[in-house]
Amino acid sequence: MPHNKDSLPNTLIVATVLCLVCSTLVSVAAVGLKSIKDRNILLDRKSNILAVAGFESDQIKSAGGIDELFKSRFDARIIDLATGNDAVDQCKAAMEGAGKVLDDVVGDYDQLWASKSKKDQDWGKKNDKEPICLRLEKKADIAGIKYRENFSHVFILKSESGAVDKYVFPVRGMGLWSMMRGYLAVEPDLQTVAGLTFYEQGETPGLGGEIVNEQWKAKWTGKQIYSDGEVLLEVCKGDQTNNEYGVDALSGATITSNGVTKMIDYWMGPDGFGPFIKRQKTEAPSSASTLKASKLGGNRG
Amino acid sequence: MASKTSTKDLIFDPVFNNNPIALQILGICSALAVTTKLSTSLTMSIAVVVVTACSGAAVAMIRNLIPGSIRIIVQMTIIASLVIIVDQILKAFAFQLSKELAVFVGLIITNCIVMGRAEGFAMQNSVKDSFYDGIGNGLGYGLILMIVGFFRELFGSGKLFGVTVLDKVSDGGWYEPNGMMLLPPSAFFIIGIFIWVVRTWKPEQVEEA
Repeated sequence: MPHNKDSLPNTLIVATVLCLVCSTLVSVAAVGLKSIKDRNILLDRKSNILAVAGFESDQIKSAGGIDELFKSRFDARIIDLATGNDAVDQCKAAMEGAGKVLDDVVGDYDQLWASKSKKDQDWGKKNDKEPICLRLEKKADIAGIKYRENFSHVFILKSESGAVDKYVFPVRGMGLWSMMRGYLAVEPDLQTVAGLTFYEQGETPGLGGEIVNEQWKAKWTGKQIYSDGEVLLEVCKGDQTNNEYGVDALSGATITSNGVTKMIDYWMGPDGFGPFIKRQKTEAPSSASTLKASKLGGNRG
Repeated sequence: MASKTSTKDLIFDPVFNNNPIALQILGICSALAVTTKLSTSLTMSIAVVVVTACSGAAVAMIRNLIPGSIRIIVQMTIIASLVIIVDQILKAFAFQLSKELAVFVGLIITNCIVMGRAEGFAMQNSVKDSFYDGIGNGLGYGLILMIVGFFRELFGSGKLFGVTVLDKVSDGGWYEPNGMMLLPPSAFFIIGIFIWVVRTWKPEQVEEA
């Protein structure tokens, strides 16, 4: 045993060498695995989009995997939430202003990053740049998200013939413990829910965490969103099979259930995808009424 | 104490005779948090085995160089680095599981077992013995996790490793799941019963009142 192991120089040397070795190891692991991790996250989101649009796992397999199926069937778009217009170029420019150069804007735009960047209206004014997110007033922030990105993805599922089959909107809202992030799929009438899924949530397992339960998620299919232009769809107590605007709440998870209601309310409302939905409805008046009827007929009462 | 003990004792002693959770009551926190399902319990157990074994070996390797004044910090740094690496590997190769384990992989750093073995064993023993001791203690922890996970998943969700064993009422079956099993306190009951069983089987573990 070296006699000077407790001396000051030795202490400093051990500390320095240890820090260098450990930080090298950690950096190597983090950098070396980064591409695999990022791919996992993207793949996970895509598989959630596919799931909410109603694809089964064997369908995904036979189509050649998540990426292939996603590419061939989905039309990914970027819209300006405030106007509801396609905004690929504006988004690219705004992101460049925020210091992120994106080659493939539609594929690489990370709206979660945008919403967390805090580059809001004040930031835009101060730096004379286009803001990429909007800080919400407490009153307007019903979903508890604090910041809302200005540009959002919308994924449009095309049928084999090229017609719109489903719209998939990214949505999020505060539950009891966590931000619940997920996707809401809507039929082409922009009125009937096709499915709801969450890819990230930290609600109480077994109670609020049941928002990822397949049985509960299945209750959303066929529910109606708007009545007279207002979002009426909500999560409420009791059996809601006969109520086309209600989904049975999760027992023991009132705050999570309320969070889901507010999330739908916000994102389907005028501050969320409302302008986009309005625009789609006026531009392409679909056979909404017939679809609604057939959906309800198929809904086991 | 350890220089004479065999590898087999090093590994299996902590599993039954000197279990870190059941006898030393260490590492309870994560035993409550990650045991709602067997798959997460198993992943967590493997992660802890890897971290205790490697940190024990690493600490033992440099035990003669570590100055007494900063030894705890040195151990923490080694453990923390290993935990981050394990977390990164899980995120890359077992994404779904790492999502479910979430913050608890990172919290292995604060798991008293890892720290306790580094300070209590690896600082005095050879690299090889410390490595096996780490595996043993990790297994002892893992055993409890698997037992708790087994009962919680079976009675809380009617499943084992995600495969339905008892048909739940909500899925059209007959089994009314026990909601308490999904909440952390149920692990206390299971660990308590386990300790009772072990101490009935091995009365020498009973502490003097």
